[in-house]
Amino acid sequence: MPGMNTGLNATDPAVIAAFKAVLLHQGLIALLIFGTLGLAWVSVRAWLPAAGKGTGTEARAPGPAVAEPAWRLLLRTGFGILWLLDGILQAQPQMAIGLPSQVIQPTAASSPSWVQHVVNWAGTSWSYHPLQAGAAAVWIQAGIGIWMLAAVRGPLSRLAGLASAAWGLVVWVFGESFGGIFAPGLTWLFGAPGAVLLYVVAGALIALPERSWRSPRIGRLTLAGTGLFLIVMAVLQAWPGRGFWQGTAHGQPGTLAGMTQAMAPTPQPHFLSGWVSAFTGFDEVHGFAVNLFAVAALAVIGAVFLSGQPRLIRPAVIAFTVLCLADWVLIEDIGVFGGLGTDPNSMIPMALLATAGYLALARAPAPAAEPARAAEPRVNLAGRLRAAAMPRSVAAASIRSVVSAWAIGVIILGAAPMAAAQASPVADPILAEAVGGSSAPANYPAPTFSLTDQHGRNVTLASLQGKVILLTFLDDTCTVDCPLEAQELRLAGQLLGAQAHDVELVAINANPVNYQLGYIRAFDQQERLTSIPNWLYLTGSPAQLRRIWAGYGVTAQIEPAGSMIGHDEVAFLIDQNGHVRQELNFNPGPGTAATKSSFAAELAAAARQLLEHA
Amino acid sequence: MTRPARRLAVALTFVLASALLAAGCGTAAPQTPQQSGPAAPPAPSLDTALVNAAGTWAVTVMGGSAARHNNFWQLFIRPPGSTHWRLVTPPGTADNGGLILASSPQSLISAFRPSQYLTFTPLTESRNGGQAWSALSPVTAALAAAPDALAMDPASGRLLALLASGTAVQAAPGYRSWITLIRQRALAATPPGRHCALQALTALSFTASGMPLVGGACARPGIAGIFASVRGTWQATGPAVPAALVRLNITVLRLTRTPDQSVALLQAGRGAAASLLAAWSAGSGGHWTLSSPLPLHGAALTSASFGPSGSAAIMMTGNRGETVAGAGSRWIALPALPAGTATLASGPGGAMSALAVHGATLTVWQTSPGGASWTKAQTLTVPIQYGSSG
Repeated sequence: MPGMNTGLNATDPAVIAAFKAVLLHQGLIALLIFGTLGLAWVSVRAWLPAAGKGTGTEARAPGPAVAEPAWRLLLRTGFGILWLLDGILQAQPQMAIGLPSQVIQPTAASSPSWVQHVVNWAGTSWSYHPLQAGAAAVWIQAGIGIWMLAAVRGPLSRLAGLASAAWGLVVWVFGESFGGIFAPGLTWLFGAPGAVLLYVVAGALIALPERSWRSPRIGRLTLAGTGLFLIVMAVLQAWPGRGFWQGTAHGQPGTLAGMTQAMAPTPQPHFLSGWVSAFTGFDEVHGFAVNLFAVAALAVIGAVFLSGQPRLIRPAVIAFTVLCLADWVLIEDIGVFGGLGTDPNSMIPMALLATAGYLALARAPAPAAEPARAAEPRVNLAGRLRAAAMPRSVAAASIRSVVSAWAIGVIILGAAPMAAAQASPVADPILAEAVGGSSAPANYPAPTFSLTDQHGRNVTLASLQGKVILLTFLDDTCTVDCPLEAQELRLAGQLLGAQAHDVELVAINANPVNYQLGYIRAFDQQERLTSIPNWLYLTGSPAQLRRIWAGYGVTAQIEPAGSMIGHDEVAFLIDQNGHVRQELNFNPGPGTAATKSSFAAELAAAARQLLEHA
Repeated sequence: MTRPARRLAVALTFVLASALLAAGCGTAAPQTPQQSGPAAPPAPSLDTALVNAAGTWAVTVMGGSAARHNNFWQLFIRPPGSTHWRLVTPPGTADNGGLILASSPQSLISAFRPSQYLTFTPLTESRNGGQAWSALSPVTAALAAAPDALAMDPASGRLLALLASGTAVQAAPGYRSWITLIRQRALAATPPGRHCALQALTALSFTASGMPLVGGACARPGIAGIFASVRGTWQATGPAVPAALVRLNITVLRLTRTPDQSVALLQAGRGAAASLLAAWSAGSGGHWTLSSPLPLHGAALTSASFGPSGSAAIMMTGNRGETVAGAGSRWIALPALPAGTATLASGPGGAMSALAVHGATLTVWQTSPGGASWTKAQTLTVPIQYGSSG
């Protein structure tokens, strides 16, 4: 999946610093939104005290009031906290660069190619705008978490559930590669069917209308679905030939022991690593027994859940919760360890879902502590948002509603810059800075040249005076970097728009062997540069070229044994008076798919700055 | 649950369980669907050797890296009278896409097949046994991956090139302007092309009298697709194959010329029934002398090279090697080839060299005519620049 890999180190200091700055900046805006909303609420309440009195409840369904049932409270607060935690985990400094290459790509690696194709699209989009994407994930997830925690009932609360389901689906498909359900080696023990799919289910349950709270049907369906899933997982776990029955095979750890063995050495508290190692050792010796226990436990608990018998379900839920916790610690390694953790994995959500199912089945919702205000006419959400009704609605809103509104603002705060960035085909210039370092400002006369362009005309530095020059050195038979660099120059010209008339895109040949015009022209044709009016590809005799390379401090050497020419990859920004004003490292780096257009953005910005200060 | 709801639940359970089992239990890699239509004709690798006045040239890929772009093709020469090979890979151009050679008695032209982002074919020429190289104008398209995708007429200096698109192009010395000689589709539409049901172009050469020759793969059994352009008209000039092979499809694997004759290597049939034939023709290629068929016994040809006087040496899978000395000669089996042998090269007096590659090391093994074993003659280490192209 080449599109995802920027080739950059996830701990690149330039990107980390920029990511922290974006988070800090957006965090301050989030606080500002909170302050503004709070101030507006307090002010309106003071201005319309009557509206504020005796309110504080949210829109309710008609009919007798019911308190939020225990199962919903558990799902809402449990998954709200999980989303909040996931948002915090997304703020890890390495996440901006590391998520596509260290999380998404390895997860998708064992899935079929169509899954990889789908996932690659999203991973590539992230790679082009890592700062905005990273920050968006933080704010969207934190926002959903806060929203779910704050909105107890009413449309806002149901919308929070829908938001959880929708975003969960996005994460499940693109972040978890459909939870790995299409990959071989699928097992409940390691997180099938993907933790976030459980967030989706929980979100959908939270989004159900209040009238459904009274029926135990939700509990029956939730437990039956969970039970069915566990039975299928038990069959998969028992399926021969998948390596779960063997603790070791041919001197190597079996499937389960191999998985946990890989987790143990990752950075984590020592005691936890010790537990995982101990379990690995135990499984290596008693692989058959461990798998037999897992298969039996999944099958029995699944069957009990399917039976719908509350008397049996209670101990089954307790047993299931214990099993989930054991798996979470000993096999899933708490989920967040072992690389860039994005969530605590599937066991906590699984236990929450089963427990909620049990609560829905066993406990009828209690009557509301506060009676419904039947005397007041019911106003729907659209009515509350009408301009005339707004001040009254704001004054009547509870603190929970204000926090919910703020959470929605936080989500928009993260999503909007990401959406705007996606509209741009150009990658974030931070990638270019991370690959090539910051550009060096300069102010010295550019070394002169007199060479032949692709049309056979003589071109000198003096003949280009009055224009800004973006100059670089390209090997005309280079197979990797130079074609990319040519495209970066081409794109820089496009980004300049009408200003491109005042800019010359100039490349000087960096190949002392293939210096003939035929090669320059073949390169131009290959890179679709023949119709670019301000493109000049210059060449000359090897002696002429060497003199110019030396003038610009560029080395180009013939490598042995069939390699291409090794040369410096640097670009010079020359002002209208023939002075070098900036030197940029132009090496597109090892990962070129996402970085190539970031250089173009950097070059265009530098040229624009010179044009505007002329 | 109502009865319809229960039925729906049972059906859903079945579908879900089947899908999960299918997804989770299928550990085999997805199979490539069978191609409908004719299978691609067999093709030898670009590892090969040839002889001209400057010596014996051999080209082979080295590096041993799993990343294909990190393996570079190397050119070696053994000057006449010498027993030692020398590395003479042309500099200044990445050759990880492959090298294709065309020779005349005076010079050797090497084409660099494009790789990665490069899409055209640089050319370079040496007139002093690889000591110095001069860049020639490039072919502005990719050459086909065939050892005879480039051919030179020694008398006129004209070049023929077979492009990956299936078009044969030609250029006069200077090579600045390439014009189309014939497209595969156009040749297939001519009377001889229709007779052969031409599937693909596989090799180019010139006759001893300087006429362009085009070899291909015929879908009609028993036809050897070799065509010559005679005064602008394409004519079939391939040999008639023995009666025993007329039911088999014939593919021209190699096509070359010596100072006085054209030499072709043909494969008849595919798979276990496949045989190889060598064919020699003096003059304009009208009359051919055929070798006896060499049954491949299910092996595949991996490399073929030509020596002086129309001799040929071939390598097959399973460490098998065979040589044939020229028109009227029979195939002679070589001792089991040394491990890693990439190509064979003819030596003086009928001796044979096997060039074996392990990573960046070339080991040359030698055997004399009728010899029963190989003797190590030379080891060369090539300074491969891993990572320089990618």
